Amino acid sequence: MASHLVTTLEVLEEAKPSVHTVEGRSIGIIKSKGEIYAVRNVCPHKRAPVCQGQLRGTMLPSAPNTFVFGMENEVLRCPWHGWEFNLTTGETICDGLSKKLTFFPVTIKDGAVYVEI
Amino acid sequence: MLTTAEEPRAGTKEMIIDADVHPWINGDIKGLQKYLSRTWWEHFDGRYVLPNHYLRPPLARASSNRLDAMPPSGGEPGSDPVFMKEDHLDRHNISHAILSSIQAGKLAAIPTPNEAIALATAFNEYFLNEFITVDDRYKLAMVVAAHDPFAAAEEIRRIGNLPSVVAVFMPLLNTMMGNRHYYPIYEAAEELGLPILIHPTGTEGGFPTAVTFAGGIPSTYIERHTLFPEIGISAITSMIFEGVFYRFPRLKLLAAEFGITWLPHFLWRMDQNWHQFRKEVPWVKTKPSDTVIEHIRFTSQPIEEPERPEYLDQMLEMIQAEKTLLFSTDYPHWDNDFPMQTLTRLSPEKRRRIFFDNAADLFGLK
Repeated sequence: MASHLVTTLEVLEEAKPSVHTVEGRSIGIIKSKGEIYAVRNVCPHKRAPVCQGQLRGTMLPSAPNTFVFGMENEVLRCPWHGWEFNLTTGETICDGLSKKLTFFPVTIKDGAVYVEI
Repeated sequence: MLTTAEEPRAGTKEMIIDADVHPWINGDIKGLQKYLSRTWWEHFDGRYVLPNHYLRPPLARASSNRLDAMPPSGGEPGSDPVFMKEDHLDRHNISHAILSSIQAGKLAAIPTPNEAIALATAFNEYFLNEFITVDDRYKLAMVVAAHDPFAAAEEIRRIGNLPSVVAVFMPLLNTMMGNRHYYPIYEAAEELGLPILIHPTGTEGGFPTAVTFAGGIPSTYIERHTLFPEIGISAITSMIFEGVFYRFPRLKLLAAEFGITWLPHFLWRMDQNWHQFRKEVPWVKTKPSDTVIEHIRFTSQPIEEPERPEYLDQMLEMIQAEKTLLFSTDYPHWDNDFPMQTLTRLSPEKRRRIFFDNAADLFGLK
């Protein structure tokens, strides 16, 4: 596993995924609520570029005919079929599936973002 | 003298519940006179015929009723409870027959809620007094007029606790089943532990108040009959995504005579869409297919006849038929299925579940 400099904290925008190619792989770097995530830019559903979707909130499980918005900037929504992933766990918001996001380890050093691949 | 081709197999003691049997009242509203008040009788004032869909079956008398099931006493097949008992219950070894009146289903064609409510009560009283008293194997799916859900709920609470009442037959109107309009009905049915029963009523696509077909208006009976599954699919889709079974967690639905082999596609499609559009209906917290398997049951007739019987075996496995499917005949209609010719490839355990246990669980029968 090697460490690769991908970007800097200075240029990352909150909740705006940026896509980078590292060692031939497409990886999304996402800054949200003080954390930096490196996500394989491949949706586990149908291999869409998931990091080109939006980071946003969603409607939380609720009682019939009521809406409760939450998880703001914690949900990565695939641009193709709209599958929603919990950015902190990689799991779909709909439970019951083994399909999850793939994360890469991230280290920060002197404001630079390194991804371990 | 009974003259149909099938005779009971000697020594057969299989317990069978028939989840779909249709009684008839000769003369429509005229036949209900005894169970209508004088005031209501005067109100109908000669309007005694319940409406028929224009597209009739291309069969004898343009009727769904079998010629050979006509009772010797005269009148329509299904109208003589004694003859029906002999011709069907005895002959086919039926332990319980769930009566749902397709004739009462025509209430969906009536645009006047007051009349539909009064007739629903008269239908229920007729069957309770003229059929249930003849043989305790008869069990009633009481009818409600969903035009007025509060009156329907009142009717459910009026007779729904009788041991002979085992379901609530709700003729479908042109408002989807998940709509909150129906919640008083579901609340009362849940309270009394009665499943809601839906069934083609013959009014589909033929009257402004009745449920409509997708795509437009069929021009022949063969189209109309082929499209019945659409109605079941629409009803279930609406109930699932409106969250009816979250609001009424003990409610059950029996979708009778809508077919079954469309179900695998439908379950997979609902689950697929749930992953894509869950945020639109966040109250749907688990896979829609799981909710269907838990809350909805289906009847077997008319059982599909694929060119290779193993295809049907696979379909039954996909829909967890040992849990979801109830045997039904549809007696005395032209396309009725009887026990000895139906689902003959099942294991003894699956057959017992489909021919008895699943219905016993749903209707609270022994």
